[in-house]
Amino acid sequence: MATDPARTTNDPLTSDAFRRAIPLFIPAIPFALVLGVAITESAMPTGVAWSTNIVVFAGAAQLATVSLAATATWFTLVATAAVINLRHVMYSAALSPRFTDQPRWFRWVGPFFLIDQLFALSSVRDELSSRDWRRFYLTAGIFFFVSWTLTVTLGMLVGSTIPTAWRLDVAPAIMFAGLVVLGLTNRPGVVAAVTGAGVCFLALDVPNNGGILVGAISGVAAGYLADLAQSRHTADATGAS
Amino acid sequence: MSTAAALSAVLAVGLITYGSRAGLIVFLADRPLPVSVTRALRYVGPAVLSALTVNLIAGGKGASGVEGAEVAAIAVCIVVAWATRNLIAALGAGMVTLWVVLALL
Repeated sequence: MATDPARTTNDPLTSDAFRRAIPLFIPAIPFALVLGVAITESAMPTGVAWSTNIVVFAGAAQLATVSLAATATWFTLVATAAVINLRHVMYSAALSPRFTDQPRWFRWVGPFFLIDQLFALSSVRDELSSRDWRRFYLTAGIFFFVSWTLTVTLGMLVGSTIPTAWRLDVAPAIMFAGLVVLGLTNRPGVVAAVTGAGVCFLALDVPNNGGILVGAISGVAAGYLADLAQSRHTADATGAS
Repeated sequence: MSTAAALSAVLAVGLITYGSRAGLIVFLADRPLPVSVTRALRYVGPAVLSALTVNLIAGGKGASGVEGAEVAAIAVCIVVAWATRNLIAALGAGMVTLWVVLALL
């Protein structure tokens, strides 16, 4: 891939896709590098851990998978990654109207690329025709996929040269803490995050790292209830109820 | 973790990930999710990622696996992420805090 793919094409739709995708990819670079380092330190065989790029292609779930391999059971690992990926159901629901008039191959292939960044880009392009939207989606999606895999692999090369005294094994946890904060958009979200962390801490002695799932379920329940309370409060305040 | 266990775990995670992305597009096109489901799904991200952070810090050793330096690094990361909305700055500040506290202890 050229350093500036936007200049390698004269097609306006393709260059538009690159122009919008590149700035969204840049913030993902440190994440990809951290994942690369985590893959080299994973309790999984390195090749298997690397294959998550091709098989899973979802940063947070990949990082959880390769990091948890050291301590979690098979079931806890898979269940945690599954819960992390539940947010994709929302993306899938939001984009499904744009897929109804697409060819069958694209309805099967398209969802594979549906990462947060691609959702952010493609969900706001209602003005594009079905055909143009498909090309825009695939161009940006394949760009993210290729860049992600290359950057993670680069992180593996860099990571193996860094001394253990740098404690890069802590980087995934710090990364997840930062991701939580950046994902908070409202007060119920804060309630969900604090409950999830607090309950997981109290449940650290639950066998097989089950505390993650106990914490996650408690956090979702708390966030849901806080959201209900907040919208009821708002409805009362505006007299809309 | 054995190669077979690791490989089957990765395949299972891959299938589940694809299913969560493709389910409503391939199999249930045009059937919107109930409002209560979308409301709950909104909080899956913060809840599971914060629980995962705590779990990784403990490293499978219970509360005794939590190091002071790690807590300091996470705390600084949270503050910087909140103030700057910048993941690179938050990660950098967290790692620097970790190194400083480890050097001091």
